[in-house]
Amino acid sequence: MLKFVVRRVIEIIPILIIVSMLTFLFIHLIPGDPARLVAGKDATMEEVENVRHELGLDKPIVVQYVDYMKKLVTGDLGTSLTTSLPVIDMFKSRFMPSIYLTFLSMIWATIIGLLIGVVSAVFKNKWPDYLGMVTAVSGISLPGFWLGLLLIQLFSVQLGWLPTGGIDSFKSYILPSLTLGAGIMSMIARFTRSSLLETMQADFIRTSRAKGLAERTVIFGHALRNSLISVVTIAGLQFGFLLGGSVVVETVFSFPGMGRLLIDSISFRDYPVIQSAILLFAVEFIIVNLIVDILYKVLNPKIQLNS
Amino acid sequence: MHHMKKILFLFACALLLVACSSNNEGSKGTDGSTNAGADKGASSNSSSSDELVIAVNENFISMDPHNTGDTNSNAVQAAMLEGLLGFDNDGKITKVLAEDYSVSEDALEYTFKLRQGVKFHDGEAFNAEAVKVNIERITNDEKLRLYSRGFNLIKSVEILNEYEIKVTLTEPYGPMITRFGVAKMISPKHIKENLEEIPKVPVGTGPYKFVEWVQGDHLTMERFDEYWDGNDRVAKVTFKPVPENGSRVAMLKTGEAHAIYPVPAQNMPELESNSDVKVTTVPSTIARYVSLNTFKEPLNNEKVRQALNYAVNKEAFIKVVNSGLGTQLDSIIPSKTVYYKQQTSFAYDVEKAKALLAEAGYPDGFEIEIWGNTNSDTMKGMQFIQQQLAPIGVKVDIKSMEEGTLSDEIYGAQTPEEAKLMMWYVSWSSYASDVTNATKPLFHSTSFPPNSANTAYYNNPMADKLMDEANSTSDQAKQAELYAQLQEEVYADAPWIFLGVDEIVYGVRSNVSGVEVGPGGAISVQNAKID
Repeated sequence: MLKFVVRRVIEIIPILIIVSMLTFLFIHLIPGDPARLVAGKDATMEEVENVRHELGLDKPIVVQYVDYMKKLVTGDLGTSLTTSLPVIDMFKSRFMPSIYLTFLSMIWATIIGLLIGVVSAVFKNKWPDYLGMVTAVSGISLPGFWLGLLLIQLFSVQLGWLPTGGIDSFKSYILPSLTLGAGIMSMIARFTRSSLLETMQADFIRTSRAKGLAERTVIFGHALRNSLISVVTIAGLQFGFLLGGSVVVETVFSFPGMGRLLIDSISFRDYPVIQSAILLFAVEFIIVNLIVDILYKVLNPKIQLNS
Repeated sequence: MHHMKKILFLFACALLLVACSSNNEGSKGTDGSTNAGADKGASSNSSSSDELVIAVNENFISMDPHNTGDTNSNAVQAAMLEGLLGFDNDGKITKVLAEDYSVSEDALEYTFKLRQGVKFHDGEAFNAEAVKVNIERITNDEKLRLYSRGFNLIKSVEILNEYEIKVTLTEPYGPMITRFGVAKMISPKHIKENLEEIPKVPVGTGPYKFVEWVQGDHLTMERFDEYWDGNDRVAKVTFKPVPENGSRVAMLKTGEAHAIYPVPAQNMPELESNSDVKVTTVPSTIARYVSLNTFKEPLNNEKVRQALNYAVNKEAFIKVVNSGLGTQLDSIIPSKTVYYKQQTSFAYDVEKAKALLAEAGYPDGFEIEIWGNTNSDTMKGMQFIQQQLAPIGVKVDIKSMEEGTLSDEIYGAQTPEEAKLMMWYVSWSSYASDVTNATKPLFHSTSFPPNSANTAYYNNPMADKLMDEANSTSDQAKQAELYAQLQEEVYADAPWIFLGVDEIVYGVRSNVSGVEVGPGGAISVQNAKID
């Protein structure tokens, strides 16, 4: 296991180099001239050229990439083209709020999602199942901005219990995490249900029942554990996506997260910020994937981790 | 087995209750920790009466006053930093750190008499030396926005005495007076010792001093007790970027924000009927128009351009596209801009438009593309133009592009011949006091893309001459006369479809006084108080 983890961590390095090259190439391929966008629409040609030179954008792309990588190796993510602030400073205030929000949303969504899934499977085609699945379908179909604004209207404007946004206290995280987690809860619920139902048909479940094991042991001890593989996969994927920030939820709740930073940077063609944000997301995704692989092994020791 | 089912059933019931009302659960958890439960809108309690919270629609980008291009950064800086000159709520030039100033007749020499007894937030004294350090910072760094906006024309900065300074230009530059209002003063010590901090930490002479800026969340400042006017004002001000319209309105309603700008048009009726809030409308300096490529067929024909103007119902435009907020654009500059002179506008007349098209040789109209960004208001505007021009046989093809791509398409053309742009649905705004920036980049023949923003490729030697002359004199009466002529000359040529001038709408809680938004979107909190 340890060997596996060490090897996977080492493998991150070539992946990151490839990611950095691809993003560098692709963001320079998007039409749009950062020098002009930075200089402003009333800028003259001369001003635009000044800005281009100052930003080093007049150098060949290979030289720009090498410069960027040289700095990156020393931990310097560069300076934002629009704000003239170090990219790392721009990330600092947004990274942790995004992490907290992701964890909070994932935790409640996973717990509730699993419970709904199990109950629905156990009471297949009975009313708890229908109720659970109606909840899940609603959770997945409500658009985030709509749910978010509805929650603000109810809990902030009408009841005055919770703030409309920001990150001033723990309370500020409640509405965004409810909005963000609703869809994930539903997805986990549906996956748990179908996967559990499938497992319940398996031979080893029939065997366990035949052995006279209590139904509780059959479900929680044997069936659920084996059904969790697909649930862990889907939860891991969602987790990775959430770490990248959610533009909709961040916008509705004026939440200073990574998603909006990336979108704003893209519209300004702020290359260093886009580049670093994508690298960061790649690292996060790789880590989450690693954890998912380890969880597979825990759930089913028969899975080989050496592939 | 049966027992197990019962337990599971109970568990399921409990679970579903939790799941269905999980929203309640979340909020109940925190309910106990506050005493706000029963009190509607009680979250306003969280900000005490000596802290003013203002929610704006976009992020602030930089706190470097010499390198700022966006309105929101400017608005926030204005409370902490001051220039030699400034702008009142009508956008007119006022004296701030300069007690008086004069401009030589040849418009080359600017002499400022400075206010005495002014201190920077770090305790440094404000004097001629401080002004010199600031101006030299800009003239020495071509990366700064202000460098190429007049400051590169500065030949010398001469300290006459501790409180008098003379700035000499190499050539006349009309908007220089506006630039002295835009170029706010930073503490000379800050410039010398913390150059890299300037985009993050503003140290000026303003009524408020900087406390903290959490990127994307808020920027807080507190009252500067040694401020030179000695007036009373609210102790703390926090600016928050809240991009979502609905959330911003909710903050004003709950009292989490004392003022919001802008108020979305669709929320105006709702807020106007709310006695806790007052909504104010101010004409802006934002002109909306469609630029017409006067270099290419069929728009090179003046009659065609006039026909397009006659075919568009401007009143309907304001009602439909701008939600009733705005006035007609009845000159080439908005009415708040200095030297504005009203022109006889192209009154809505479809028959006349058809006749003009026929005269120009297009009795059956033509097909043409209109470009714009992907903003939903722009889309609405372009669809409106499309629908208005259909009755005169002009078939408009809408091409909306993401801002960066659009800018590439437009400024990528090196010559008028190369330009693919025919019609551009766009807006332009400049300081009310800066008529040069409201005209020269848009109508001067040296401003064709990629050089500047004359996307109508408008080329009129007479107009060029008027602009150049006005730019090289400091005689205001002469300038007024020249700009009056220019407006007449250009408006009649119809290089644009003249649409409207936006109105700015902001909302303030009724217990707050002294918060005002100017025509350029500058938010003034200098006299803000909360009762």
